[in-house]
Amino acid sequence: MRLTLSVLLFALVFAAGRVPAGAQTSNATLNASINGLARLSLSSAALTFPDADPDTVPSIQATQGPITLSAKARTSPNGAVTLTVLASDQLRSGLNTIPASNITWVGGGAGFVNGTLSTTAAQVVAGWNGSGVRTGTQMFFFRNLWSYATGTYTLTMTYTLSAA
Amino acid sequence: MRTIVPFLLVLLVPAAPALAQRLDLSLSPVVITFPSSDPDTVPLVLAPPVQVTYRVRQNNNAPWSLTVLAAGDLMSGPSSIDISNVTWVATPAPPFQNGTLSKTVAQRVAAGNGNVNPDAIGSITFRLANTWTYSSGTYTQTILFTLSAP
Repeated sequence: MRLTLSVLLFALVFAAGRVPAGAQTSNATLNASINGLARLSLSSAALTFPDADPDTVPSIQATQGPITLSAKARTSPNGAVTLTVLASDQLRSGLNTIPASNITWVGGGAGFVNGTLSTTAAQVVAGWNGSGVRTGTQMFFFRNLWSYATGTYTLTMTYTLSAA
Repeated sequence: MRTIVPFLLVLLVPAAPALAQRLDLSLSPVVITFPSSDPDTVPLVLAPPVQVTYRVRQNNNAPWSLTVLAAGDLMSGPSSIDISNVTWVATPAPPFQNGTLSKTVAQRVAAGNGNVNPDAIGSITFRLANTWTYSSGTYTQTILFTLSAP
């Protein structure tokens, strides 16, 4: 009986010498900085309205058709993202002018709205909340009147994409 | 009563080697930082490589493994980035392997058999998939490396 007990204990201790080492652990911390960022791209940098008879074409559509706008923004959670456009001046041809407000647009796509060009206040083209990539269109129209002096008129539009 | 003495000797002598340290693991650096980058130009943001130093002793021919488990998603206040957006590239392979972080299942980083002695060194470069959908902020999370032998 004593011998049996000794063998049993030795076996237990021998097994204890092979006890699994377990595990060794080490922590690390992941940090990621995400800064605010915005990028806007347009499918066309120029718009052209062809000459037309005011009686038959009272509203002239831009020859480029709808321009596509891609607005990418990183902002705070649910932060406002706004796309606006502002005309630099009236349509001008030498000394002759046509009010920029004679240019209007129809917006297409989520967040895009219709509007009228202005030289004094940036007009909202589209608005969203939160980060992401949004795409939409603007179809421009020019109000065609007999009162305009002949000429080639130009103006510059400035788009601004802002993220709160 | 005399029969008690042999039992005590048997208990004390063989037990000592079982207490020896057999696994060693260290990381450098322990803070892994992804810089902010433009998703259009840097679709995959790389953090500086992490050096993993490890040693396995008294393991005979048994297998060992190094795993990593994230404590959760990358968090910044109410905002989160799913931790599966973090992947890694590790060298040398083998014993190291590439993978994707998980917050539910420890992912194998390296594995082998027997001892690794003296220390061996591996390099892990974590990568964050960079997209426009992330909210701005400073995100953080803890990841746990575990070196284990059966």
